[in-house]
Amino acid sequence: MVMIHRILIVDDSPVARKMLKSCVPKDREYEIQEAGNGVEGVEKYKEFSPDITFLDLTMPVMDGYKTIPEIRKINPEAIIIVITADIQPKSIAEVISLGAFTLLKKPARKESIQDAIEQAELKINNTVKQI
Amino acid sequence: MNPDKSLFSEEQKDILQEIMNIAFGNATADLADVIDVYVELSVPDIELLGAGELPGYIVKNLQTYSQTVIINQRFLGDFKGSGFFVFPNGAGHDLAAILEDSNPQCCEAIPAVSLEKEIIMEIGNILIGACVGKISELLNTSVIYSPPQAIYEKSVEFNRFLKSFDPANTVIAMKTVFRFQQKDIKGFILVITDYESIEWLKDALDKFMESYQ
Repeated sequence: MVMIHRILIVDDSPVARKMLKSCVPKDREYEIQEAGNGVEGVEKYKEFSPDITFLDLTMPVMDGYKTIPEIRKINPEAIIIVITADIQPKSIAEVISLGAFTLLKKPARKESIQDAIEQAELKINNTVKQI
Repeated sequence: MNPDKSLFSEEQKDILQEIMNIAFGNATADLADVIDVYVELSVPDIELLGAGELPGYIVKNLQTYSQTVIINQRFLGDFKGSGFFVFPNGAGHDLAAILEDSNPQCCEAIPAVSLEKEIIMEIGNILIGACVGKISELLNTSVIYSPPQAIYEKSVEFNRFLKSFDPANTVIAMKTVFRFQQKDIKGFILVITDYESIEWLKDALDKFMESYQ
């Protein structure tokens, strides 16, 4: 079974990144890297090849909406979990249509982060089985 | 008086910025339940200002807009201050059109001028209430609100409003610029905390972050 170890967090707020990191389950060792906007996030994605990416939407330089397609150009199977304060129905529909795996509402909560990681692992394992 | 910039640590300012971001995101979702508009959000801006600088800050921020109306609502509690919804005067007409499109029966009996004013007041009330309410919820407190009040730019009330700040105090200004996408209308929400709230707020921000250690 494939397990998630490498996590990329893309958010302009250092506090939001810290909050999210504290919500990542402590049951195993994760390697976590951070980026402060979409451009840095895409660069980090290329270097780090994370198993999953947590991505904010409202960011300077390049926002989450533009970042999702850039990451998916690098890896069409990329698992991108949008974590945002913008929970308007249209925003949710748009990120899902862009190919985000799921959308979580800020502030980050331990249960929802853990659940999202578990769901992502299921998806990775189902994809591996199909291959 | 110059504000004491050391009143808040960088981390406390970051926490406040993130809380404002979460609060405004929630506020726009609440608005989407009422009226069919999509609101584009920006990264919030947090500034510590001497209250004497506040009129200049507000006037400077209004320069982007031709004529504005400000919906002002006081909130009281541990977290105490004022919320401002700043919007182009006349944009109420566009919002009335959106509201009528989504609910044709809603507005038949209301004269157009009253309707525009009522809509701006109501949207201001929803956004300020949801925004301040979410900040309060995240910081484990509650507030009560005064009724919203509309102040038109360049009016007597506007000048009185600008002079109402005690220059001896420091205030925190939290600003989020937004755009109603369908009609390309820009405005901003400004939340200003009173001086008396600052010590409470610093403590509340630290406690909020402690839950994420």
